[in-house]
Amino acid sequence: MNTTTLRKDSTGTAAPRPATPRPGPPGGAGGVRAAAGHVLLYAGLLVLAAAILLPFAWMLTSSLKRDNEVFTVPIQWIPQEFQWENFTEIWTTIPLLTYLSNSLFLSVTITALQVLTGSFAAYGFAKMRFPGRDVLFFGYIATIAVPWQAYMVPQYIMMEKLGLVNTHLSLILLQAFGAFGVFLMRQFYLTIPDEISEAARLDGLSEYGIWARIVLPLSKPALASLALLTFVNTWNDYMGPFIYLTDNRLWTVQIGLRQFVGMYDARYAMIMTGSVLSVLPILVVFLLGQRYFVQGIATSGIK
Amino acid sequence: MTLSDSTTGKRRRRHNTLVGWSFILPNFLGFAALTLLPVFGTLLLAFTDWNSYSTPEWIGFDNFRRMLDDGNFWTALKNTSWYAIGHIPLTLAAALGLAVLLNRKLRAVGVLRTAFFFPYITSLVAVAVVWNMLLSPELGPVNQFLKFVGIAHPPGWTTSTDWAMPALVITSVWRDMGYYMVLYLAGLQAIPGELYEAARVDGAGAWKRFWHVTLPGLRPTTFFVLVMLTVSSFKIFDLVQVMTEGGPGRSTLVLSQLIYRQGIAQGRFGYASAISLVLFLIVLAITLVQFQLQRRSER
Amino acid sequence: MRKTSARALTAAVAVTLLAAGCGGGDGGSATTADGRKVVKVALWNYDTTPEFKALIEGFEAENPKIDIQPVDILADDYADKVTTMLAGGDSTDVLTMKNVTDYARFATRGQLKSLDSEVEALDKASYSGLDPFELDGHYYAMPYRHDFWVLFYNKALIKPADADLAKLSWADYASLAKQTSTGGGTSKVYGTYLQTWRSVAQAIAAAQTGGDLLSGDYGFFKDQYELALDLQKSGAAMPFGTAKSQKVQYKTIFESGKVGMVPMGSWFASALLEDRAKGTTDIDWGVAPLPQIKGDGTKTTFGSPTAFAVNKKARNSPEAEQFVKWASGPKGAAAIAKVGVVPSYTGEEVMKAYFAVKGMPSDALAAQAMKPDSVKLEMPVSDKTSDINQILDEEHELVMSGEKSVEQGIEEMNKRVKSEVR
Repeated sequence: MNTTTLRKDSTGTAAPRPATPRPGPPGGAGGVRAAAGHVLLYAGLLVLAAAILLPFAWMLTSSLKRDNEVFTVPIQWIPQEFQWENFTEIWTTIPLLTYLSNSLFLSVTITALQVLTGSFAAYGFAKMRFPGRDVLFFGYIATIAVPWQAYMVPQYIMMEKLGLVNTHLSLILLQAFGAFGVFLMRQFYLTIPDEISEAARLDGLSEYGIWARIVLPLSKPALASLALLTFVNTWNDYMGPFIYLTDNRLWTVQIGLRQFVGMYDARYAMIMTGSVLSVLPILVVFLLGQRYFVQGIATSGIK
Repeated sequence: MTLSDSTTGKRRRRHNTLVGWSFILPNFLGFAALTLLPVFGTLLLAFTDWNSYSTPEWIGFDNFRRMLDDGNFWTALKNTSWYAIGHIPLTLAAALGLAVLLNRKLRAVGVLRTAFFFPYITSLVAVAVVWNMLLSPELGPVNQFLKFVGIAHPPGWTTSTDWAMPALVITSVWRDMGYYMVLYLAGLQAIPGELYEAARVDGAGAWKRFWHVTLPGLRPTTFFVLVMLTVSSFKIFDLVQVMTEGGPGRSTLVLSQLIYRQGIAQGRFGYASAISLVLFLIVLAITLVQFQLQRRSER
Repeated sequence: MRKTSARALTAAVAVTLLAAGCGGGDGGSATTADGRKVVKVALWNYDTTPEFKALIEGFEAENPKIDIQPVDILADDYADKVTTMLAGGDSTDVLTMKNVTDYARFATRGQLKSLDSEVEALDKASYSGLDPFELDGHYYAMPYRHDFWVLFYNKALIKPADADLAKLSWADYASLAKQTSTGGGTSKVYGTYLQTWRSVAQAIAAAQTGGDLLSGDYGFFKDQYELALDLQKSGAAMPFGTAKSQKVQYKTIFESGKVGMVPMGSWFASALLEDRAKGTTDIDWGVAPLPQIKGDGTKTTFGSPTAFAVNKKARNSPEAEQFVKWASGPKGAAAIAKVGVVPSYTGEEVMKAYFAVKGMPSDALAAQAMKPDSVKLEMPVSDKTSDINQILDEEHELVMSGEKSVEQGIEEMNKRVKSEVR
């Protein structure tokens, strides 16, 4: 901990100001302490992460059990006999590959459209002034406050009238243009100082040019988080695909796995096996996406 | 002079409006046709009697009158509010804390971030079973620990009407914090490094830097997270459905469940829409307050 | 990746088309390319529910001019999806009615075609579970399957010498359960397992005392609740809270040999047969009649029929009716009896086929269990059923988890049903 006291007048604001050079914290002991703190932080985080992963661990071991070994009292962590064949059987028990590719197609398309149109619209909301803007934005925010359980049926009736039920297109149209992306990107654009776009305007760049060449590159972390969360939400969505997709060949992983829940009993080991497999693509996407959360990437353009 | 000035001004304004709309339109068209329209249709249904098959019959405020007498509605409203009051601040704090901790150059930070995001992608059934086991009244490790530190009668958690809601809040904070952490991680990247440098030069300690640089810099993100958290807390459905199904009794019955039961399950779509309208107005009011607060703090 | 972006582009184009007000398209053709009439049947889990395959293949073999196409829906949320589909004007020809409550809802909304003339032509005496489908003198569905409750027992734990399983009273059952319970911790064996559903206490009480589940006067629940709570307290049955929060499966606990007796619906038999065949369990099991409250020697149980109905908007209505009639008749019954499912039509031949299924207990006790004197409907049908269902569920949970005493719980049920249900 740094114990140097701040100047009194500096507590009010954090805005940059003519920096008066001040003596930094003394090195030596501080360095050792920092290192120790580092180790401690690390250990703490690792323990926390392990605790956090407990339910996932149960899911993983359950995927290697027999169906009638999953729910037991007391809870059983290690399978009596490892059922490795669950992981081979599931591909033939249900057309998992078809489901996975449907999920992938939907998630990628919806994410791409959401990121593209959302970040585009957000520019209008954050960086331009024109009549009707705030009313429109309010419309976006308002719809997220209504639970889907309420409007699911009216929406379905509309889709049926449009003849889009039982197509992937229905889901793409429903989920690609939500409020989430617009709102998220608008909030991020607000943190980009207006002076930057002002300067670009003076340089003769059109609004579209400013969006494409200045704002978009600056908002990579936000785009990454939007893409990540949209992908995950689409991938894990159950009710949408369930209501709209009837044809088995169009089904997604999440519907596919629920086939193991019968009218009277369920094949829970298979459900866990499928759940483990369906987490893998998300894992890849997350590991790729989180690389954009590196300090400096957003600000590098501003300097 | 003045005349041509005002015409170019007008022209520029019109041009500006057109460009503004052109940005919004691609998203707005899809959104308006497929979400805005049915949502507002639903809100209109609140004033009708409709079973999804008949022609809706206009009945004015009957649904709302019915709601006043409906014990289930008040129970669900109370439960949902309790959930929100617990879930919003705790998740916000946990997500922010995690993001700040994991926003540094640490070995394997990517793996750690992924680990904290995992709860959000773990199958809900696994979440429910493991948390119910951890919180099991007699055998659960949580209660054994509580007994160890001297609490003779630890809570019954999901088997008790008083403690089922706290148990849900704990589980949901655990589940959601990684999700909002991702948003905060993105927000943190927008804070210019120079601000930290300047604060450091001023001799600001870690806590002061967090308080005077990080928090103000995260304000737009916090606003977004707060609104999304409010909305998702008041709409909570899946976790309750899997973990307690609204029980024991009605102790964790929430509004979305009631809307689902009244609408899809029992075919009272008018009444379900009326409850949704009330839920919508509550969330809207809270959001507007947050909006005002944010504006004020920006000034 | 190129393919994906091309698809994304197609989607984007479609958005524009949509904005311009385009639409159209319907759910495929009503006849196949070779001229057969298509009958679409909404059902659940086609691949894992053998009775549907048996019915469809059996019917198509006899009616080569008709092509039955399953519309596969998940079992869990079946009713919700059918509700939504019908609201959208869907034209799926045949709809499976999972239970009578759902049936009543679709029928009273006018979404199902009347089947009065078909039902008139039936030999009604051979059907069980037909009456519940009568609504104001009309029938809108025909049952093909009728499950009812029996007592499953583990032959390694329950010996014929212990008690006369054919004539158990609930008191006999309780003492047998207590006597069978042994051990503790991981080696605990329970005398019985009571599934957490409210029917285990409530529907049994209603069926065997003649009580009415819609009445708002539930004093008749008392004895069954006290019995269940006593079993729990004495350790002869797993605590309700544990069973509920750990999502304990009756199949899991029974197949692992950790429980002596399980009162359960007849559907459990086909699951046990399947698992024995797959080798995931080696349990030696039997069925006995459900224990009785009254000692007059009659066997009363409760159950729930499953039926097919014809959508009012069906495209091939006559063919759809033909299928429904066939499935609920003797031929359909024979087809599903062969896969271990109890049909609604119970002619002698059909029951013979049922007991002939490989692995099915066919001793005298089983024969008695499968021939109850009376099968009451699990939950009577009215427009108030769903609301009352919910209240009874909630209060059941509170009584069983000890949050309320039996008296308090029953009083609360009476009060809530009277004040909340209109």
